[in-house]
Amino acid sequence: MSPESSANERPPARPPAQPAADPATHPTHPSPDGSRGRAHFQAQLRELEEHALGGLDLIVEQLDRVLEALEHQDVELAQMVIADDDRVDGRYLEVHQGILSLLALQAPVAGDLRLVAALLHTIKHIERMGDQCVNIAKMIPLSGHEPPVHGELLEALAKMGAYARSEVVQCKAAFAGRDIGLAEDLVRQDREINRLNREIFRLAIEIGDDPDTREWAMHMTLVARALERVGDNAVDIGEQVAFVVTGLFREFSDSSRPPGAPAGA
Amino acid sequence: MPNLQQTVSPVTEAPPSNDSPAVVTKPGLSVRLEQLRAFYGDAEQVKGIDLEFRANEVTAIIGPSGCGKSTMIRCINRMHEEIPGARAEGRVLLDDTDVYGSGVDVVAVRRAIGMVFQKPNPFPTMSVYDNVAAGLRLSAQRGGDMHAKVEAALRGAGLWSEVEDRLNEPGAGLSGGQQQRLCIARSLAVGPEVILMDEPCSALDPVATLKIEELIDELKSRVTIVIVTHNMQQAARVADRTAFMLDGKLVEVGPTQEIFTKPSDPRTEEYVTGKFG
Amino acid sequence: MSTQAPTGDLMARFGVSAARRRKDRIARGAILAATIVALIPLVLIVYYLLSKGLGAWSSSFFTTDPTGNTFFKSESIGGIKSAILGTVEMVALASAISVPVGVGVAVWLVEYGKSSWFAHTVRFFVDVLTGVPSIVFGLFIYIVLIVGTGSSFAGYKGSLALSLLMLPVVIRSAEVILLLIPAGLRESALALGAPRWKVIFSIVLPTALPGMVTGMLLAVARAAGETAPLLFTAASTKATSFNLSGFMNSLPVQIYGDVTSPTTAVVNRAWGAALTLVVMILLLNLLARLISRRSRLA
Repeated sequence: MSPESSANERPPARPPAQPAADPATHPTHPSPDGSRGRAHFQAQLRELEEHALGGLDLIVEQLDRVLEALEHQDVELAQMVIADDDRVDGRYLEVHQGILSLLALQAPVAGDLRLVAALLHTIKHIERMGDQCVNIAKMIPLSGHEPPVHGELLEALAKMGAYARSEVVQCKAAFAGRDIGLAEDLVRQDREINRLNREIFRLAIEIGDDPDTREWAMHMTLVARALERVGDNAVDIGEQVAFVVTGLFREFSDSSRPPGAPAGA
Repeated sequence: MPNLQQTVSPVTEAPPSNDSPAVVTKPGLSVRLEQLRAFYGDAEQVKGIDLEFRANEVTAIIGPSGCGKSTMIRCINRMHEEIPGARAEGRVLLDDTDVYGSGVDVVAVRRAIGMVFQKPNPFPTMSVYDNVAAGLRLSAQRGGDMHAKVEAALRGAGLWSEVEDRLNEPGAGLSGGQQQRLCIARSLAVGPEVILMDEPCSALDPVATLKIEELIDELKSRVTIVIVTHNMQQAARVADRTAFMLDGKLVEVGPTQEIFTKPSDPRTEEYVTGKFG
Repeated sequence: MSTQAPTGDLMARFGVSAARRRKDRIARGAILAATIVALIPLVLIVYYLLSKGLGAWSSSFFTTDPTGNTFFKSESIGGIKSAILGTVEMVALASAISVPVGVGVAVWLVEYGKSSWFAHTVRFFVDVLTGVPSIVFGLFIYIVLIVGTGSSFAGYKGSLALSLLMLPVVIRSAEVILLLIPAGLRESALALGAPRWKVIFSIVLPTALPGMVTGMLLAVARAAGETAPLLFTAASTKATSFNLSGFMNSLPVQIYGDVTSPTTAVVNRAWGAALTLVVMILLLNLLARLISRRSRLA
């Protein structure tokens, strides 16, 4: 019997023979228990994200400590904060290396690619936040051992610190939860920080004639500025959240778009 | 507009000049599928597809094994019906002419829509020259300067410099990548407006694959190209637009950049990120 | 082969046991014995052919016709020229009939009929025909063309019988070769915009040619050696004839006639003719092999 006679029993398998799956580019078939393909890559991506976002926990720690050092004029605590910035920088390098590795070896596309790009930006912002904490810590010994205390100014600084801390915590939650609403809300808090920054500046100008007090007030404006930068970085991380979800990048503080307007049109 | 009612379609050529070989300079045409269905006996493999392939662009078709992408492109040049028991329904419009229309000559359709297959298959009894000339002889285009046409086709396929001094050697003696380019030259010689490629690089090594991808990029100024590929990286590299098929249906089509950075359909996202295959 | 006992853990797994070696030797011995037994008749045939036939060979053997004289020792008995030429003529005509028809049927079966019920039926009957005894073909032509029309024996009628004999062989071997041609070849020719008949004539057949020639030569070899069909159709004659509508001599018939003769010289001539026939078929086989070696498919 000729080989072609079997063709009538079933539709001939005419599509050309499929080449063997190339694991680097061709997705693997789902395993029998239904789990998804590229499990190893997905795990690596999750790990990378956790590691990067974990940097925000470090920042919260740093912020708490530096704000406490500021309140109590604790120079030793300030030194610890400065030393511990190495941990933040180290994390930046690790995440950066992880990103390069994933890009080179796994060729992520679509949502995965956007996530990797966002992580690259985010870890940079985290590193900046760390630097700002160091800047604050550096101000503390300069204020002398018995600094003049100006209640209103200190109160404003404490509030700024609280907002900054809250923004850092919230941007982490927004990223982890891919929550655009939460991310956009950061702008509201950031406006408060900006307002307080201006307030502190005003207070510093009007602080009086005593040179020691004036010097201290100058340092405090620098502290305020550092806190304001921390807030800006948190908002930037929020923008990355929107990019991961929608694939469009827009600045939150862009006043041409009212908050809550749909991204892109 | 190609005349599909006759068996011989006249070929227009630019006169040969010194700086460029005689090339067949017909521009590509667009192909539009309207509710295309394809059957093997009673089994429906392609289940109603509406898709456009724009003129002079490269469109890639991606999708998991068995989704019907090869079947679909074989309907475009009416090769699907060569299989016993296979048939197609719907319309395939080349420019504005339905290739499945009544009175249309299948042979003329295939001269306007060429095809390159997965496994390079130069005719084994013929030399390199004769392989390319076979394209002309089989499609009854004997007139004119055969040698110039063969050279033009080989140049168009990026093969001339490698074979110009071995035109009389057997075609099967070339390397895999060269054989595939020979097959492309053979198709080009016929002067089609569209070239369909069914996983043209699956059987080739990476260097040969890259050469063919470069060639595709050059060719698209002359013909419309539709390429079925298993290799998503390849689709990402060569295609202007990418279409994703699943279970015989079209899920999504769009600019390649979008499909690979921001696909609209979650199934597309899952497929390109490798969550199923 | 090492006769050392394997040592160590891994070697214990890799070593060949004595029992297995024994079985191996027994099996090999048995197969060798069977081969020798099968070769014995072959060797004997060759030996007899050579020893009895070579003696009859001479230049006159090939250049003179049989004289018909089998009795008188003073006259020559002649050679087998007419028989050789007759065989060549009749087989040539048979080939000219069966090869185009057979290739045509094979092409139809592979390219058009494919799996249709009609193609299945055709293949079935072709298979049946390969098994039909050659005498039946001779009888068929005899009944139809000689008794039926009331006409006489003729060379071309012998060719017809031979062509019927060759037909199934040609069809079968051509079909096998055509099926070996990769579908991709036909596909790419079709995709270039060639009508089906052109694909067959310009691509498929030229590619299949070397393989098909092999098959055809084997069919020819078979036809050249058949006696029975010719007995009823071409009869025999002594003189060299180029007229296919008359009686015609052939090697198998000549041998058949000579071998029962009481005259030793005539019997020797029969052996010489047998050797000639075998040598001719041998040469055809060698030719087939040479051609198939150059073929890319077979």
